[in-house]
Amino acid sequence: MKSLFKQKEFSILAIVLLISSILTFVSPVFLTVGNLLDLIEGNVVIGILAIGMTLIIITSDIDVSVAAVTTAVAVSISYLFGFLPDSWISVLLLFLFAPVIGLVMGLFNGLLVSKIEIPAIVVTLGTLNIIAGLVLYITNGNYVNSTSFPQSFLSFSNIEILGIPILIYLLAIVAVGTWFILKHTLIGRSVLAIGGNTQSSVRVGINYQRVKLFVFAYMGFLAGIAAIAQTAYTKAVDPNGMIGLELTVIAAVVLGGANIHGGRGSIHGTLLGVLLLAIMQNGMILARIDTYWQNVVTGAIIVIAVSYDQISYKRSQDKLANIEVEA
Amino acid sequence: MKKLVFSLLMLMFLVGILAGCVSENTSGSSEEGSNDSGGEESSDDGEMNIAVVPKLVGIPYFNASETGAVQAGEELGVNVEYTGPTQADASAQVKVIEDLVSKNSDVIAVAPNDPASVEPVLKKAKDQGIKVMDWDTPADKELVDLSVKQVDDEEFGRHMAGKLVEAMGTEEGKIAILTGGLSAANLNLWIDAAKKEFDENYPDIEIVSEKIPTDEKQQVAYQKTLDLLKSYPDLKGVLAVSTPAPLGAAQAVQEKGLQDEVSVVGSALPNDSEPFLEDGSLDTAVLWNPKKLGYLTAALGKMLAGGEMPEDGQEIENVGEISVKDDGKTVIMGPPADFTKENAGDFDF
Repeated sequence: MKSLFKQKEFSILAIVLLISSILTFVSPVFLTVGNLLDLIEGNVVIGILAIGMTLIIITSDIDVSVAAVTTAVAVSISYLFGFLPDSWISVLLLFLFAPVIGLVMGLFNGLLVSKIEIPAIVVTLGTLNIIAGLVLYITNGNYVNSTSFPQSFLSFSNIEILGIPILIYLLAIVAVGTWFILKHTLIGRSVLAIGGNTQSSVRVGINYQRVKLFVFAYMGFLAGIAAIAQTAYTKAVDPNGMIGLELTVIAAVVLGGANIHGGRGSIHGTLLGVLLLAIMQNGMILARIDTYWQNVVTGAIIVIAVSYDQISYKRSQDKLANIEVEA
Repeated sequence: MKKLVFSLLMLMFLVGILAGCVSENTSGSSEEGSNDSGGEESSDDGEMNIAVVPKLVGIPYFNASETGAVQAGEELGVNVEYTGPTQADASAQVKVIEDLVSKNSDVIAVAPNDPASVEPVLKKAKDQGIKVMDWDTPADKELVDLSVKQVDDEEFGRHMAGKLVEAMGTEEGKIAILTGGLSAANLNLWIDAAKKEFDENYPDIEIVSEKIPTDEKQQVAYQKTLDLLKSYPDLKGVLAVSTPAPLGAAQAVQEKGLQDEVSVVGSALPNDSEPFLEDGSLDTAVLWNPKKLGYLTAALGKMLAGGEMPEDGQEIENVGEISVKDDGKTVIMGPPADFTKENAGDFDF
């Protein structure tokens, strides 16, 4: 229990709890099962992308092409619908195709970053433009609505198990899976090692290029899954609908305690970061805060959350240093 | 093995890029070719070059106006070049206009992303004897020879408010207003007009909260509407301004099965809103016909190049009766168009 308070994610958890309790007082609707499920379901896409982004940020890189990759996969899905028969097999096939399409795009980013060693921000900014341009060229910006979706996919997106929408399970599977990779596999430990100290980790024999390739490929893979979630959630494919989403994703990861310089970050922290952003967005209307003040309040909470997190982290670092000196 | 995979990937990428270049080149050269021949013809039989510049290309709305403008070009025997930036970016748009100025178009019609930033280049065009118009969104009034507006802002806002009250079937109750963005000037004008209509004619309607921004995204509109429905259980109607917003609002109403309790009216294109119009989650989509707007712009461009000015009440073929405001150069295409369950399938935009 004591260790819980010492964890760096505790600060963000405290803020989430604080805001939640304020909102519960202000609006009786906030703490209802229905609202919380809506809230989580609405942020599944951001959640999945943020989990992938966490790995990249841990290795001190960044991927600004996530929204474009997700859009590209979503557009591919809408084209695939034209070829797939209207049955359950199609939904399964979709779960095979979509992640693979994402994976290919992620691999492309990863190869450029790891083999040619171009800074990731440059590579992904480039792929962002290439992909966004191609998507616009192919779709002409046309919006695809649910009338052209197979019935099986629509019923898949409406599945609820124990009253909980299927998309939330999808997020849970991705989160647990990634947590397992990070905690219990060689490649996962290597991700943390590289982020912590690149030189030492290379010296102990960790394959730097392979790890970089892995994090970007994995991001692409998750973007493919996120594209399914997005299509199932909005029941439409809008080629312009996710522009700028990468910023929200990165904000959620950083809010969740990941260090943008690498080495620090966790899946549960990121999920809390996503939750904090989600609660703020949801709470503003429930608390009946005036539109113009919503931005002010959102900004203020982010600044407070990040500085609180940073201050407590610095304190713990100071303590560490003291011990070393005394020893 | 890895090297092989890598070089294969690079090859795929290169081929992709080259393919893109090639197709662009061919389309570009064919366009240039037709323009060149058009230019020659223009010296021979006086054919005119009319350039129509949208805010951006590649969104359904401006695609529809392109169809109209090109159709007008074919029917009226003028060369219509429809070109614009790929993003709603003011400086990219200025570059497009600059190219058109140096190509010596006879008329340039612009839907400015930012009226101030296109001002210098439009001045330059005027100095070279090119006639300048704005369409869809007004530019600097002093500068343009003609200004084409789809609807009267005041009328449009009031019309949407009236439609919402009609759909609600009652003149009292709570409604919410969704908007694309807080800084969008035309959306704000419509919302202000709608509010005026509520104030003056339906005083028992209460607008909850300020207008709520949805970032021009359906998903955001959907989530905000879900929140609104929970926060105000007695909400009677949603007025959604900006094309993706009504779809998101209707999706929320559809999902919660509140078609009969909550009315949604907003500005959306008919094809996009069809699945929501069908089951009544979206009651009416109000907009104008973007195809006609493109047609009208090109047609008026031809008149302008020929030294004519449109008159109030003039009948334009394929568009209908237009009205001209007192300043003699602001043209209003006509009343707003309502898209409902019954007619949404008849349009191809």
